Amino acid sequence: MSTIAVEGLTKRYGTVTAVDDLTFELAPGRITGFLGPNGAGKSTTMRLLLGLARPASGRATINGRPYSELRDPLRQIGALIDPNVFHPGRSGRAALRIAARPARIPDQRVEEVLNLVGLGSAAHRRAGGYSQGMRQRLALAAALLGDPETLVLDEPASGLDPEGVHWLRGLLRGLATEGRTVFVSSHLLAELAQTVDDVVIINRGRLVAADSMAGLLERTGASSLEDFFLGATSPDARPADPTFSRSRSLS
Amino acid sequence: MRSLVSAELLKLRSTRSAWIPLAAALAIAVIAVVASTTAAGPDGNPHLSPAALPGLLRASGGQIVDGAVLLCWIVLSAGEFRHRTSVTTFLGEPNRLRVVSAKLIAAALTGAAVGLLAEALSAATSAAALSAHHVPLDWSQPGVLGAVVAVPLLAALFGVLGVGLGLLLRNTAAALGLALMWAFVIEGIIPALTHQPGTTRWLPEAAANAVLHGASPAATTLSAGVALAVLTGYAAVLAGAGAALTARKEIGTATG
Repeated sequence: MSTIAVEGLTKRYGTVTAVDDLTFELAPGRITGFLGPNGAGKSTTMRLLLGLARPASGRATINGRPYSELRDPLRQIGALIDPNVFHPGRSGRAALRIAARPARIPDQRVEEVLNLVGLGSAAHRRAGGYSQGMRQRLALAAALLGDPETLVLDEPASGLDPEGVHWLRGLLRGLATEGRTVFVSSHLLAELAQTVDDVVIINRGRLVAADSMAGLLERTGASSLEDFFLGATSPDARPADPTFSRSRSLS
Repeated sequence: MRSLVSAELLKLRSTRSAWIPLAAALAIAVIAVVASTTAAGPDGNPHLSPAALPGLLRASGGQIVDGAVLLCWIVLSAGEFRHRTSVTTFLGEPNRLRVVSAKLIAAALTGAAVGLLAEALSAATSAAALSAHHVPLDWSQPGVLGAVVAVPLLAALFGVLGVGLGLLLRNTAAALGLALMWAFVIEGIIPALTHQPGTTRWLPEAAANAVLHGASPAATTLSAGVALAVLTGYAAVLAGAGAALTARKEIGTATG
């Protein structure tokens, strides 16, 4: 079973602290929502976890190792950071074949994930002609290429139509049921509330809450995730109130 | 490493803006031979002779192939940041120096292959053209082997230069602009600006010409061996600087 652990993670850009001493751990077999207002540090945290940026201090690990030390990382962790990471002149199929090569993933698997995300019939078309939703599906297909134990998805529902959002919810639930760790950020609180088991909420780079959905609502008396979120992340909210954190470990 | 090099070559095959310059260079290699042999004789041009063969091989495959390979790998390496495909690349292989090494190997292989292909096409076209003019072919004459070796070797080095420049600037337009400015303007005015005419022979274009054509009798150029070493030095410095920057910089930001 795969685990993600973030310990004292801090990232600064000049005088701005984007991620501030962040600590949490995710449980396998569960979908964890990663929430925070714009600029809270969600994407930065995910990029730190994936080795695309380097922390000022602290560490983020997958199965006890930093991403940069993983062997065959695509087979351990699948990531969707940005749907616009494909060359516009290449077909969806070519983009995935290129992504698959370093992990020696066969072309047959490329076809499987293309069909899984509903792009089988559009795989020959150039990615530059894809809609935002299609690029999002292609990025999701890239994340699934290595059949990984862990998925890190930044705003995966962005650009998807309602049918696509419904499909994504089922896909994530199915992956978690198989025992995989799913870590997903989103601004769609109502949607996320239907999908996730646990939540990690950050504001201004600091941890606000890390708990199960049910535990969070019960402990805080909030009527909904949105209710809690808006209260905890308002400009005058105290950062990192430990009351909201049952435990930094969701295991 | 083989799978990483394979991925880089697949990027080349699936990127039209990268392989079109290579295809164009091969076509020009053939056209250059046809044009040279057609123009021979009339209007005061020298008649074709067996000694024309090395010149045909060098002229058709030399700077055009070098330039095409350079442009191709600038487009591919700087394009990783322009199109943010660097994110996918470094998620697949987080060891950035391994990725850079794969790019350099793929670029050198591409250059050598395109250089060899250009020479093969030039040789076939030259053979046909010289035969049509009833000029005997002498493949063993001095200069033939040198051209066949020098053209792929130079193209491989220009591929490495392209990767280094692309990774260093991380901006396709800036890297292409600098390469073209260097070739057509900067290298030509450096001696005038420095008041040191002797510096010319140490510059990349002059060094590449010296490798291709050998030292001039007036000793205004480097010997082929020294020129090759100089060009290899430029390639190593650019590739090293590009690799160091790639290892240090963040990936997936507006500039990376």
